[in-house]
Amino acid sequence: MLRKDVKVINQLGLHARAAAQLVRLAGTFESKIKIIRKESQIYADAKSILSVLTLAASKGTDLIIEVEGADEGIALEKVLELFSEGFGEL
Amino acid sequence: MLPNQAEEPKISIAEFVEKAPLEMQLEVLSGTNSLQKKYINSPRIQKLGLALAGFAHYIHKGRIQIVGQSETAYLDQLNQKERSYAFENLDLNKICCILITKDLKPSKELINTALKNDVPILKTHLVSSTAIGKVSKLLQKILAPKITIHGVMLGMYGLGLLIIGESGIGKSECALDLITKGHRLISDDVVTIKKIGDILEGSSPELTKEHLEIRGLGIINIRDLFGVSSIGQNKQIDLCIELKKWDEVVDVDRLGLEMQEENIFDIKIPKFILPVSSGRYITTLVETAVRVFLLKISGHDAAKKLIDKHNKVIRKSI
Repeated sequence: MLRKDVKVINQLGLHARAAAQLVRLAGTFESKIKIIRKESQIYADAKSILSVLTLAASKGTDLIIEVEGADEGIALEKVLELFSEGFGEL
Repeated sequence: MLPNQAEEPKISIAEFVEKAPLEMQLEVLSGTNSLQKKYINSPRIQKLGLALAGFAHYIHKGRIQIVGQSETAYLDQLNQKERSYAFENLDLNKICCILITKDLKPSKELINTALKNDVPILKTHLVSSTAIGKVSKLLQKILAPKITIHGVMLGMYGLGLLIIGESGIGKSECALDLITKGHRLISDDVVTIKKIGDILEGSSPELTKEHLEIRGLGIINIRDLFGVSSIGQNKQIDLCIELKKWDEVVDVDRLGLEMQEENIFDIKIPKFILPVSSGRYITTLVETAVRVFLLKISGHDAAKKLIDKHNKVIRKSI
């Protein structure tokens, strides 16, 4: 299992379209991908849109990405990339 | 999706007379020999007035030529020689048929010229404006551009639904399932689509009407099996659903904000792409898609509402 901290850096936060991008990306991997709010430990399944929306992560929110499965390395890398690119908004 | 056949629609004068609404009380005054040989290919009409006055360049071969009150009044004030000349000046080969309105009495010269050249003359008691309205409406329907496509069409909750997708993906089975749930079959496998104005009307070819082909059962008759209420006639196409294999769907819309479109005859029909895989109960998905669409067109968009709510929550926490 891999874990990594990440911060939401894009202006609009993890809004609906960003969430949809994340879910679509997550769906391409076999691994189980969890997104956790650092301060509250509320977590979401990155493959479910409604789950990701309940995180309500705005700009500046600290999150933890937790990936477990056969392709966890590449999955974590790609998810982090999406966050660091600000979901294509930067 | 490519139409697999496009026809140049036309209708013979004989056919037109047969299909014309009864209240027009069409009478054939001349040209009976050429009723089968002359064709109308445009739903638009022309008034013969300007051509009779000497400017005949714009006569369109496939349009009905109307002779009404103004044409008759113009001809009446000419002397016999001038009248003969007015008709001889026309290129009669270019006239498929003349329609006299308001029960006006055609001049002797017109009848003679028409008889000599075998030009069909029809007469109605309706005034020009009413006759033109009726003729255009009928012709628009008959002469509408037509294509046939591979798909299934159903009537659901008052909407016309076109289901498309590759052979063997389960369109007919899905249709059968929907029929057992009380929806109506319009056509299976081959749907004839007509463009009437800016709407598309789907129907079944006469031969295969009311039939469905189910692998393992063969051809079945839906009316016999499920009764008259399981069958629908031609209907406007409001929505399209494309069934696709799960692994062929690259970008599934996870939010449901954007509606896809299917372009038929340059008319955009809203479309859902539904991925098919085992464990996904297609009938329920299709039924739900139609309900979602009904809500959307009445201004109620669940996805948009939830996302607006979500945006507010995010903004509050900044």
